[in-house]
Amino acid sequence: MKTTKETIWIGEEDLTRDEQFLQNAQKETSLPGATDLAVENNLSSNRRDFLKYLGFGVGAAAMASCEIPVKRAIPYVVKPDTIVPGVATYYATTFVHGADVLPVTVKTREGRPIKIEGNSLSSFSRGGTSARAQASVLDLYDIDRLREPMSKATDGWAAADWSDIDKNVSTALKSARNAVLLTPTIMSPSALKLISDMSAKFNLKHVQYDAISSAAMLDANEESFGERVIPDYHFDKADVIVSFGADFLGTWISPVEFAADYADRRKVKDLKNPNLSRHFQVETGMSLSGSNADHRAVIKPSQMGSAIAYVYNKVAGGSAPTGSLSDNAKKVLDAAAKNLRGASGHSIVISDSNNKAEQMLINGINAVLGNYGKTMGFAHASLQRKGSDKELRAFLRDMQAGNVDMLITWGANPAYNIPEAAAFVEAASKVKTKVALAYKKDETTLLADHIAPIHHNLESWGDVEAKKGMLSTIQPTISPLFETRQAEESLMTWAGMVSDETPDYHTYVKMNWKSTAFAGQSQFASFDTFWNYVLQDGVFETSGGAEASFGGNAASYGSRVTKPSAGLEIDFIEKVALGDGSYANNPWLQEMPDPVTRCSWGNYLAVPVSFDGNRNFEGFQGVEHDSEIVEIGFGENSITTPCIKQFGQAKDTMSIALGYGRGAGGTCSKGIGVDLYPQLPVDSEGYTQYYSTEVDWKGSTKRKEKWYSSVQYHHTMGVTAPEGETGEIINADEQAIATLPVKGFQGSLVDRSIIRRAHADDLHDFTHDLQHEREHHQYLNAAGLYPGHDDLYNQGHHWGMHVDLNACTGCGACTVACMAENNVPVVGKKEVARHHEMTWLRIDRYYYGDVENPSVVYQPMMCQHCDNAPCENVCPVNATNHSSEGLNQMAYNRCVGTRYCANNCPYKVRRFNWLDYTTADTWPDNEPELVQGTGLEFGADDLTRMVLNPDVTVRSRGVIEKCSFCAQRLQEGKLTAKKEGRKLRDADVKTACQTACPTGAITFGDRNNPDGELMTKFASPLNYIALEEVNVQSSVQYSARINNKDKSLEA
Amino acid sequence: MRRSQIIFSSLLSMILLLGMGSLQAQDLAEGKSLFRTNCQSCHNANMKAKMTGPALGGVEERWADYPEDLYRWIRNSQALVAEGNPRAVEIYNEYNGSVMTAFPNLTDENISNILAYIDDIYVNGVPVVGQVAGGGAVVEKETSNWVYFGLFGLLGVLAIVLARVISNLNYMVQLKEGNAPAERKTLLESLTSKSVVGFVLFGLIVLAGYFTVNNAISLGRQQGYAPEQPIAFSHETHAGLNQIECQYCHDGARRSKHSVIPAANTCMNCHKAIKVGSKHGTAEITKIFASVGYDPNTDLYIDDIENIGRDSLENIYKEWITDNYLLAEELSALDQTGEELVSEQWDNLVASLTNETKDKIYGPIEWARIHHLPDHVYFNHAQHVTVGEIECQTCHGPVEEMEVLAQHSPLSMGWCINCHRETEVQFKDNEYYASYTKYHDEIANGSRKAVTVEDIGGLECQKCHY
Repeated sequence: MKTTKETIWIGEEDLTRDEQFLQNAQKETSLPGATDLAVENNLSSNRRDFLKYLGFGVGAAAMASCEIPVKRAIPYVVKPDTIVPGVATYYATTFVHGADVLPVTVKTREGRPIKIEGNSLSSFSRGGTSARAQASVLDLYDIDRLREPMSKATDGWAAADWSDIDKNVSTALKSARNAVLLTPTIMSPSALKLISDMSAKFNLKHVQYDAISSAAMLDANEESFGERVIPDYHFDKADVIVSFGADFLGTWISPVEFAADYADRRKVKDLKNPNLSRHFQVETGMSLSGSNADHRAVIKPSQMGSAIAYVYNKVAGGSAPTGSLSDNAKKVLDAAAKNLRGASGHSIVISDSNNKAEQMLINGINAVLGNYGKTMGFAHASLQRKGSDKELRAFLRDMQAGNVDMLITWGANPAYNIPEAAAFVEAASKVKTKVALAYKKDETTLLADHIAPIHHNLESWGDVEAKKGMLSTIQPTISPLFETRQAEESLMTWAGMVSDETPDYHTYVKMNWKSTAFAGQSQFASFDTFWNYVLQDGVFETSGGAEASFGGNAASYGSRVTKPSAGLEIDFIEKVALGDGSYANNPWLQEMPDPVTRCSWGNYLAVPVSFDGNRNFEGFQGVEHDSEIVEIGFGENSITTPCIKQFGQAKDTMSIALGYGRGAGGTCSKGIGVDLYPQLPVDSEGYTQYYSTEVDWKGSTKRKEKWYSSVQYHHTMGVTAPEGETGEIINADEQAIATLPVKGFQGSLVDRSIIRRAHADDLHDFTHDLQHEREHHQYLNAAGLYPGHDDLYNQGHHWGMHVDLNACTGCGACTVACMAENNVPVVGKKEVARHHEMTWLRIDRYYYGDVENPSVVYQPMMCQHCDNAPCENVCPVNATNHSSEGLNQMAYNRCVGTRYCANNCPYKVRRFNWLDYTTADTWPDNEPELVQGTGLEFGADDLTRMVLNPDVTVRSRGVIEKCSFCAQRLQEGKLTAKKEGRKLRDADVKTACQTACPTGAITFGDRNNPDGELMTKFASPLNYIALEEVNVQSSVQYSARINNKDKSLEA
Repeated sequence: MRRSQIIFSSLLSMILLLGMGSLQAQDLAEGKSLFRTNCQSCHNANMKAKMTGPALGGVEERWADYPEDLYRWIRNSQALVAEGNPRAVEIYNEYNGSVMTAFPNLTDENISNILAYIDDIYVNGVPVVGQVAGGGAVVEKETSNWVYFGLFGLLGVLAIVLARVISNLNYMVQLKEGNAPAERKTLLESLTSKSVVGFVLFGLIVLAGYFTVNNAISLGRQQGYAPEQPIAFSHETHAGLNQIECQYCHDGARRSKHSVIPAANTCMNCHKAIKVGSKHGTAEITKIFASVGYDPNTDLYIDDIENIGRDSLENIYKEWITDNYLLAEELSALDQTGEELVSEQWDNLVASLTNETKDKIYGPIEWARIHHLPDHVYFNHAQHVTVGEIECQTCHGPVEEMEVLAQHSPLSMGWCINCHRETEVQFKDNEYYASYTKYHDEIANGSRKAVTVEDIGGLECQKCHY
């Protein structure tokens, strides 16, 4: 039983039994953030308004009964064949945003895209999605997007005609001596052809750069393999994975693809021979990948070169200098090297370092291990990063010298996302003509003379080659909403490339495909058939390019790795949701909590906690509380930012995310977090570095952030506390703690069956213990609340869900998918701070193991649809009740908002609409502001409302809501089967979280279908039910988290 | 007004029928039915206007020179053209070589019946439809509340009289007992006494509560709602008289949650041929042309309809209305009535197709929505029509008899629930329901007769609310 009874904790106060926390825990309303609920109600309506509305309501009702207002029913004039109103149509296209790419299918209703799904025909994404891709549909309806072309006038911006802009820009382009097209990585073969055609015709240079750069890696690969590409990684073939800082499950290069492969080797398929991969992560702060790793070596960012050299020496026998690594780090690195040596040809070593020497050593390690051609290849080499730091810097020098007379920016935002942003802004005045192909008025766009607004990805034509030979198409799923024009078409127009032969970019793409992909295949004789086929599938895959072998000299770079420095350091990271900051105006992504820190709406400075060995933790440099505002200095400049104490953060280091503190670019991103791009150093070779050693700690201001939007202690479940008089340990929750005379707060989760975990070598004993434990629980569960239902459950459907905690990496794609599918409202920073987030599906993050460098388990938590649901029998109006299919139903219109159900839910998954987040009711004064001071009410405008799923009710203020197992999808799936007169198949009923998941962690299905996928999963002895002992008979089973730690390190 | 017309015309037709004799009447009936099935798709039913084929009124006169050949023409026109019959060749050329369908199976008797019917319509005009429906309309019994009001008044008077009697008796008793000074309550005093006021207040509160609750329940319910529509579309003509299948136009019902109000191009499938209506002439069908941008004069869709001016459209549609008026009235130039009619029809067309948010004539026809469920209710037509095999009329009532469409059912939750309690699921032939093993066992062993929607969870909240 040892493995199942170890302490698991969720945060520092919880672990240390912090005095303040214990005191606060006495009252629900004084839990962090909840205090202000009573003080400030954030509303401008009052009781008098209520009476007014009431009076008006009665009057209106009386009027309404006399005359019925005429509602219009407006049919099509000419109905398109492909559209049946009320039936969704799916189109295959590709999500592209900067260097992020994913083949997807788009669900449209009456010609309106409302949801992104994966494209399972793609061997690149295998049907998975990311939070960013899921949220991209909301960008289409961004109220801040540019709606018409504009030119700079004497007093600000003036709307312009396309013809005027076209005339001006093409004249400037013709006369330009040195024009530059600045973009992030472009993966579209047609767009690249277009640009190279243009470059041949004009004095135009194309410069690509990535805000979060992989330039050094690309340059190292060019030297090693003769090609400036990223290898094709096969994490599913790797027994040992060592990552030096690369967050390949969260943000690095192609996380969806990597996560799918990675999870393939983390799932326990055979209990006797689990054959799991072993994952070492070397990093400073805890990243998503690090949190999934078996072992983390915690180092300062400047020690990364030393750490790589250390492993290189051990594996390849080199003698590169290794600086001053800590003993703990060395221990892990030794083990990593040992494991790597034992897995030649079956391992992967990667790094996100932007130092060429370090990347050469990584290549050297992989070459020595013989990984190339086995776990890493070049036939389908990744083209997802192409940016060159050197070219960017050369361009900046040119610009500063006044040698650039025309600048076209397309998707690039150098006035914000490069270290030299300020210099760029200054030098911009020296450029004669500046044109921005832009989606929003961001920092760079504001400098332009002409703004040519571009289509959203979902309004565009195009193609993508994310990996060699893995092509995918982009097709429009909606007519352009505004007076925008596709960027490529603008370029064509300016370059005078619009002709009878290629009247638009759509034709240009087709022509390009005709001469390339179509010419290279033999399956189709007619191009039109081929093109239709490709568009329908969305993907077209060929055998790719040639393999390459390592031809570099890694040893010669051994002495050129970064030298470690002493003192305080800061690590600049990329967040899973917000990326380089170009997603900052997407409220779904802003509100998605960071998987590790659990903070939303802001970039919090992560600082380490130190442990005195006696269950006492000390904050870093006197920091006492999370959300305390601290000041840090960078040379002459300093910034203030709230901080959080983060487990697993290296000593004397801090981490903070880039992509916040936007100066322009949308209402939603305004005033959120602080911008760190200006603090990025550039090394002597011209590569941007994503850490800084030039940082001073200026001390804490001892103030707390006003709206600390961390969801860490929200909806905590399984809390236990000693009962006041008897001292007996009882099950408690936030409400109970507030009302029971309990003494002290025992800490959470001790002894509750929420997380079950084990080591891969101990599965035999573990499953035995788990079975024993479950038998004991089931003994309590002999009786059900609804005896009559048993008969019903045995026929028809009985829904259930399985979540494999080994496959779940915590990426959060499911949470955003759930918001999109179920019209879950965004509530904004202040409301999150007040525990009011509405997410139906949350991902809980639990720590276990070494208290300073813990391991992590992620647990997606949604309504468990208990067959003995405690929420149902406390509802005074029977608004929540049980269906014959085992669903815990919620009838919003019956709910009167007592919230008894939420209090009685052991899993804390019920959400209450405190305010009218969606403006679904008729009292406009009840609508909260999404971002303080902006007056922005999310969901209040007609444009944003276009994203709503018409099959799901938009809830109004004062009702409880929760996960419905996507009831609308179940009903639709059942109807499909009924109409076709056949049995229900697994494929008919898939929940939104299930289809979004890149790793297949979630399986939904019918428990009455013994051949279905669900029942196969339910048969595993690794399964357990969260809080099974409380006898609620949940419908969701979790598969225990199995790690594959190197036991020699555990000793 | 309308009813007297109906009565008058039914009397007239009865007299005509009696005068012609029963045999003749049968011929006409058969002729009518044959005409419907064989001729109507190409020849106008009013016998006066052209359609795909010529107007048939007076056809026998036109063929008077070749009486036998008319019958042969109908059975196989091409043979006659090949023979070189002058009349046949003339028609063939007049209609640009379009070939009339051959009807080799029609007997001489059939054809003479059809011709009799044609002649009847041509001479007597199109009979006003709906005699049966009109005649069958039951005169609503006038239920009067006067009885109750009278009774109520009587009781009131009785109460006052009794109160007076009691008051008087009290007064007498007091006098007798010598309780001076005895005062007699006036009528006003007894009416404003605490108990009476209290009783009246109580009654008013109860009544107010009763009406409030009742009205609140019926809020938003609109059974019987039959708003005026932009086009006087008659379901009676289309679904009743012409027997057009409901789902020909409402093609979403079998496959979608919405039954779908047909797009105007669906109307054009038929109305490209039937360009003048039997009831309203050009008044209503021209609206369809205007909404889809179709020029009925040239039988072509108008180019660049989005940008064309109101004046050009006015010319096109007024020309069409005028031509048809002249044809029907056999005039060569517009008279006063005609001019009024043309401008009235045009004004009506503009009023119907435009509103405060739509200033163009071209574009969707904005119908007044009749059936409306609240946003928190999910209803799926396909589930009921395709899977449940429910007739449209079950919920929508006898639509084929409705000249103006009205909401037949209350569409209240109680009404849905009742139906789910009573309706049996199409259990046997649908493989989907095989998973309901217990019910199948019970049916097999005879302990269960049928499975209702309720039995498979049709009353559960989240079947319709999610």
